[in-house]
Amino acid sequence: MMPSQSIWMIRSSLIYLLVSVSVGCLILMQKAVDLHPFIWALLPAHYEMAIWGWVVQLAMGTAYWMFPRRLDEPKRGPLWAGWSIFILFNTGLVFLIISTLFRSLIYTAIFGRTLILIAILIFAILMWQRIVTYRKHH
Amino acid sequence: MPTTTRWFIRSAVIYFVLGITLAFLAEFPSITGELSLLPIYWHMLVMGWITQLIIGVSVWMFPRKHRDKKARESFLVWSAFWTLNIGLILRFLSEPFIPAITDNQVIKISIVLSAILQWIAVLFYTIEIWPRLQNRKKRRSAKA
Repeated sequence: MMPSQSIWMIRSSLIYLLVSVSVGCLILMQKAVDLHPFIWALLPAHYEMAIWGWVVQLAMGTAYWMFPRRLDEPKRGPLWAGWSIFILFNTGLVFLIISTLFRSLIYTAIFGRTLILIAILIFAILMWQRIVTYRKHH
Repeated sequence: MPTTTRWFIRSAVIYFVLGITLAFLAEFPSITGELSLLPIYWHMLVMGWITQLIIGVSVWMFPRKHRDKKARESFLVWSAFWTLNIGLILRFLSEPFIPAITDNQVIKISIVLSAILQWIAVLFYTIEIWPRLQNRKKRRSAKA
């Protein structure tokens, strides 16, 4: 069954998909019809949301759910680690998106990327232990 | 593998090949001329390839909430497939010509229609997948 951490990661990724595509649609229409010049300023946020928010987060949520579970408890690693991935990644991404809208906020981008890096390191450690085969146990 | 999944994945593979081919051709300005190919091949790869592959696999693998309501789910998934692909085709046929042709009404309408169709497709997909994201406790209470 799908764990709560995966559910929240995948829900968040769907929200980022919707927001990113909404912004992308505005940018596309801006090319043909002059809606508002500010729309072009949303282009970096559109990239970040599409790649990190949608694709990367959906892959992480699905991998956390579907990879082989450990034979001992906790089956998917410590619960706090799973929740840390979700909270750190999404908090970091919000800071990163804000930084793309206000170019003067250099430290906001660094802070956001640091949180995302920590989240991905925790994810890599958890997943590393689950890249296994149980064929020898049968 | 459901029929919708096969259509999504086949379409995704076509966009993958087209995207890589355009990225290759974009390295030769003598061939592409004034055509603006960068946003085209990026969106072929991210929307056409990666997103369609994700949609196709997720509608197949993610647990269904109502096994007895396949018709409704299939309608949403099929609608997502056609709106997304018609939207992408309109975009890829019109967007490269924007820098060269600025006042063509057909291109303008095509771009706006393409944007709306892609947005509707993503909305349909989200409506389809969102209720399937449930843990064991919620699924049991839904069945009871």
